[in-house]
Amino acid sequence: MSAIHLAGTAQAGHLELEVDLSVEPGETVALLGPNGAGKTSLLRILTGLLPLTRGHLDLSDHAADVPDAGVFVEPHKRPIGWVPQDRLLFPHLTVKQNVGFSPRARPERVDQLLEVLDIAELADRRPSSCSGGQAQRVALARAVATEPEVLLLDEPSAALDIDSRHLIDNLLEDRGDRATLLVTHDPVEAATTADRIVILENGYVTHVGSPVEVRTRPRTRYAASLAGLNTIAAVATGSTATTEDGVVVVLGEPASGPVHLVVPPVAVALHRTAPGGSPRNVWEATVAELQPAFDRVRVVLDGPLPIVAEVTPAAVEVLGLVPGTRVWAAVKATEITVHPA
Amino acid sequence: MRAPRPILAAASVAVIFISLPVVGLLQRTPWSSLDELLSRESVIQPLLLSLLVSVIAALVVVVIGTPLAWTMARVDLPGRRIVRALVLLPMVLPPVVGGTALLFALGRRGLIGQWLDRWFGLTLPFTTLGAVVAAVFVALPFYVIAVEGALESGSDELEQMAGTLGAEPMRVLHRITLPRLLPAMGAGVALAWARALGEFGATITFAGNLPGRTQTLPLATFLALESDTEEALALSLVMLIVSLAVLIPMRDRWLPGRRPDQ
Repeated sequence: MSAIHLAGTAQAGHLELEVDLSVEPGETVALLGPNGAGKTSLLRILTGLLPLTRGHLDLSDHAADVPDAGVFVEPHKRPIGWVPQDRLLFPHLTVKQNVGFSPRARPERVDQLLEVLDIAELADRRPSSCSGGQAQRVALARAVATEPEVLLLDEPSAALDIDSRHLIDNLLEDRGDRATLLVTHDPVEAATTADRIVILENGYVTHVGSPVEVRTRPRTRYAASLAGLNTIAAVATGSTATTEDGVVVVLGEPASGPVHLVVPPVAVALHRTAPGGSPRNVWEATVAELQPAFDRVRVVLDGPLPIVAEVTPAAVEVLGLVPGTRVWAAVKATEITVHPA
Repeated sequence: MRAPRPILAAASVAVIFISLPVVGLLQRTPWSSLDELLSRESVIQPLLLSLLVSVIAALVVVVIGTPLAWTMARVDLPGRRIVRALVLLPMVLPPVVGGTALLFALGRRGLIGQWLDRWFGLTLPFTTLGAVVAAVFVALPFYVIAVEGALESGSDELEQMAGTLGAEPMRVLHRITLPRLLPAMGAGVALAWARALGEFGATITFAGNLPGRTQTLPLATFLALESDTEEALALSLVMLIVSLAVLIPMRDRWLPGRRPDQ
């Protein structure tokens, strides 16, 4: 049983997409890729706005687009909810009419969504008078009101205020059997919300894996640049944060509540002896693995804080790093950025 | 913004040029005998006929012009440019030539007219219906241009969005396409109606000049000018008032230039 099963080819302008992708019910998959890689076109294949030229697409185990067999299910008959990047709210309808537009949307569900997403007060307003965050919530409510089996989100948190982001995250958490495909530029968002990450480059899927796999074993330069970032879940109280394993991390900027700490691997310095000086976060770790990543080496560390450091091959030699080596890892507080969880 | 003086001067010349004839008309209008003139059968009859013909023509234009504009804007027709040129032709063609063409196509012995006559006993020339046909012929392009322009400037993204929400094509048309097109349709219908109301050349050529049947206001005015100048002035005043009464309230809502909130 799968919510999306796609193995096919399509032509989007000059770009030929050749994609193999499966998403299970209840799963959230993040679709990452550089601009022009075909992420939005891939969503259009699923909605039926971009027909396949070869191959097949099944949605909830029903054939939706099989050109060789002459099967094509029209967009309005597909079990899909779509939140496009530019939202495409209907400007001549009120917020409530937008959310309830679909003939599949039950009125009780529409009212409930207006409440949950805190847009009930805007119900009679036009989309043109909504802020960006409000408009995004309206677009999401409209897509979710149809109770889709597959939810497609195109850059849903681009330029969102914190409140909108929280409301949207809360709503999406309750996913049930719904499969969610999330297009994003933001590797942090991908790592924190998705079960799996699919990397799309130049129309091809170049990597599919868990966030940890993609981070620790990047297969392309693009993936390596994304994977560049360590993300660590923690709870912040003022100028420090405590990780799930009880490690206290000193922060450069005060924060409170659940957060994700983002640490670029190049900011992790490795030493054979305990360092002094300005770095405020220092801990002992064991080298678990060494991975060449183009002109650098990624050093995967085991210890209280599982983290990846990126150093030059020369440094590996000087420090004599091999799996099992005990090292001191140091990160300056100012190198850590804090994202609300 | 403050306009530069030369632009302001040229604009004033244009306004004066447009209003002078109106002022001339008002200045010569026989105000004292207006009551008597306006109650004449020879004034009331053409007025009612003109309203009837132009309103029916405007309705016909909407019914056949909307699908035409939609097809021209959205469907990838092979001969699209030729179709567009054909549709716009009556705007450029002298109306008398249009009337002549209608006569040879739809006249009693015309290309199609002979069959209309033989099969349905339907004769168009020199009937009120013929006056409507002439008005539709000249007015249709004004409507089609306005609506086609609006359809082309808005892409069909919203329609696609509506489709993914489970709306069938007819529902998309009814809930998205048509409501968003209303301002352009309003503007188009105002222009088309105004053109139909003022129609002279094609009407007199194709439908003739029969009082009570095809003698519309412009025809009656032209005729009166030869026999009774005062009546011609009264008829002109009526046309002026009817036109302004319709165009002024429409100006803000529908005519191009100001669009209601998007």
